[in-house]
Amino acid sequence: MKRLYVIEDLCNGCRLCQTFCSSLAEGVFSAEGRIRVLKPSGEAQDIPILDCDGRCLRPLFDAQTPTCVSVCPTGALLYEEAAAAAERRLLLAEARRRHSLFKVVAPWKWPFAWQGMPPQKGETP
Amino acid sequence: MRTRAAAEQTILRVNLSNGTMRREPLPAEWTRQYLGARGMHSRLLFNEIPPHADPLGEENILYFGAGPLDGLPVGNGRMSVACKSPRGTVAEGSFGGFFGPEMRRAGVDYIALHGKADRPVYLYICDEHAELRDASHLWGLTTDQTDDALRRELPDADVQLRYIGPAGENGVHASVILGNRNNSGGRAGCGEVMGSKKLKAIAVRGTGGIGVADYPAFVQAYQTYRQRLDLATSRDAWTPVWSTYGAPVLARLFAEQGNLMTRNAQQMHWESDKAVRISAEAYLDRYVTKAKACFSCPWPACQKLHTIPDGEYAGWQGGNYWAGQPVVFGSLLDIDDLDFVLALSILCNRYGLDIFHVGFTLAWAMECYEKGILTRADTDGLELTFGCRDRQGLLELVRKIALRQGFGALLALGCSRAARQVGKGSERFCLAVKDQELEAIAQRSFYMVALGVAVSEVGPDHTRWYPPYPCNPNLLPPEELAALGIHLDLKKAFEGRNPEEKGKLLRWFSISRAVVESLPGCVFLVRDTLGLDMRPWWQMFRAATGMEVDYFEFLKAGERVINLERAFNVREGFRRADDHPPYRMANEDVPVFGFRRLSPDIFDPMLDEYYDAMGWSLTTSIPRAQTLQALGLADVAAALQACGVEVEA
Ligand code: SF4
Ligand code: SF4
Ligand code: SF4
Repeated sequence: MKRLYVIEDLCNGCRLCQTFCSSLAEGVFSAEGRIRVLKPSGEAQDIPILDCDGRCLRPLFDAQTPTCVSVCPTGALLYEEAAAAAERRLLLAEARRRHSLFKVVAPWKWPFAWQGMPPQKGETP
Repeated sequence: MRTRAAAEQTILRVNLSNGTMRREPLPAEWTRQYLGARGMHSRLLFNEIPPHADPLGEENILYFGAGPLDGLPVGNGRMSVACKSPRGTVAEGSFGGFFGPEMRRAGVDYIALHGKADRPVYLYICDEHAELRDASHLWGLTTDQTDDALRRELPDADVQLRYIGPAGENGVHASVILGNRNNSGGRAGCGEVMGSKKLKAIAVRGTGGIGVADYPAFVQAYQTYRQRLDLATSRDAWTPVWSTYGAPVLARLFAEQGNLMTRNAQQMHWESDKAVRISAEAYLDRYVTKAKACFSCPWPACQKLHTIPDGEYAGWQGGNYWAGQPVVFGSLLDIDDLDFVLALSILCNRYGLDIFHVGFTLAWAMECYEKGILTRADTDGLELTFGCRDRQGLLELVRKIALRQGFGALLALGCSRAARQVGKGSERFCLAVKDQELEAIAQRSFYMVALGVAVSEVGPDHTRWYPPYPCNPNLLPPEELAALGIHLDLKKAFEGRNPEEKGKLLRWFSISRAVVESLPGCVFLVRDTLGLDMRPWWQMFRAATGMEVDYFEFLKAGERVINLERAFNVREGFRRADDHPPYRMANEDVPVFGFRRLSPDIFDPMLDEYYDAMGWSLTTSIPRAQTLQALGLADVAAALQACGVEVEA
């Protein structure tokens, strides 16, 4: 069964997920989403917390994808089967070993040819 | 939950002199005419700050303003801060972060700070509640200390803060206002004015929601906007680079092309191994710990947090490395040690100093030192050479600028005033316009930049137009561009060193950016066609506010804003003669590359073309009566005339 996963250290704290989620019921944008991004120390930490299994109130952009996942720019949110989520997590770890770009974005959000196999550290993509 | 309509715009007026406060709605038609944020501020500044008011006196007003799209997932948390600058011009700047949306959720879209407090205070707003609190215990603290102290005092983790550091308190030239630790704004004078009002900080917390008039239409418009900006779909080579690496890739690209200001722009090229050492790639490898973003930004990592991992500054933390730092603390000073570049920049943030002021003023002082105009007797013993070996001494000097101590007191005046005080020809290598330091982009290779820097109402500010890497104009066929109201020979317009079409191009860029900054949205998020085809912005504005306004009427808001800002300056006495490039750019050719100086035969026709395109007098730069009339600003023409300004028909 697909469910929502969070890769916390990819989250940049933009709160797009939370802001869009808050609007799904009544078209009002606020901070009251089923996903909320906690910032316990100003902007030093961003911690997405879910109160949702991914059966989205209203998938705005693609019927198969929860709204929060569609809007997340970094790839910090996944809606996957457990095995697929684990695979993504491993891909991220491998990408990070190879290139520091993936400190700040998930390889599956980087839309270039070497998406699956980035160049070695120090090279420019 | 309390819900407000996106179109609603309320101002909280705070009188710091006597502590009174009131909230009042702004006229609904102003939203149509000026949109919000920067636009609304242009109207408020012109109406409310009396001509020739003392910028550091009771009459100056400091505004913080959000706008109709703030709090919605496209406003990007951008907001505007504005006042009359101590340099006499209008001062306006844009902030990122999360403060704007929090204001909107608290039911306050603008904050106007009138008068002056007699002791340090901070303003605390929580939904309907607002109060001035004592800030004696915060006065003198650096910005990171202030952030920590206020977070302890206001235990709600989501409270949003804006504050000044010691530089603002001490009235140091160009000091900035900061928030979220690493987001700064208002270098045109807002930090100095905030300090003069003894206002250390503003804290705001709001729990309401914002409703849009037509939700499905809003979501649809968002989809188009997002498509233009998303890494996967944007048709713009800059999108992936900028949204992850960031603009410092430019230093490396520019270093060998004669486009990088080096040693106070005495040279325009830099050894490429030096540029590589301070490049965006080096930054990402060694320092970045985490991606960051402003509220609802569609990009993964335009902002970052960094920590210097080891060495002399081990453990120093900060955020963001943008196009400015590699120039102002890198090539301009001939420093190729990224640890040190970041340390300088972290220190500026802590003290609330503007990096452009500090970088250009240090570079000027280094050139003075090199030429013997300043000696160790002036610099408190510091060996102030380019590439400065005495790192500790240079950091200490930055601190002394913020505290106005010793040699720092001279540099705290800003480059222009310092040069006037020192004399001996040092004015010729002071890189400033309207007494404000330049920014990082080369002028003699990018004429549009030179023109934009010269005419900008707030002094040099690259966010007012486009940097020289504009969106790809080939994405739109000429007929479509013409239908969008863009009548330009784009090929000529985008040729860096061709003066033709630059005035018209700058007009379009200034107007379109004024629109974005008034909605507000982020001026970096105009990639793909979003800077030429503004319809997605227009559709989001209409869907959010429910206001029926046609496309060209919507764009006119940007034109009004620039005319109002120009009118403000005109009323203060600024004229055509104030719109010029710095001496070095106008009088020296670029060594090695031979790019020509911006002599009158190059520069004047561009300026004429710009004024003409704007409908301003060619001789004075004063907006003409018919221009103002056509924009519905007849009252502005009348107000200028009432002050004795000669407005041409
Ligand atoms: S799946 Fe839908 S309802 Fe659930 S958190 Fe995400 S956006 Fe909200
Ligand atoms: S949208 Fe993604 S990056 Fe942004 S706050 Fe949510 S989880 Fe984090
Ligand atoms: S592009 Fe950068 S500055 Fe603009 S909203 Fe996004 S994070 Fe903020």
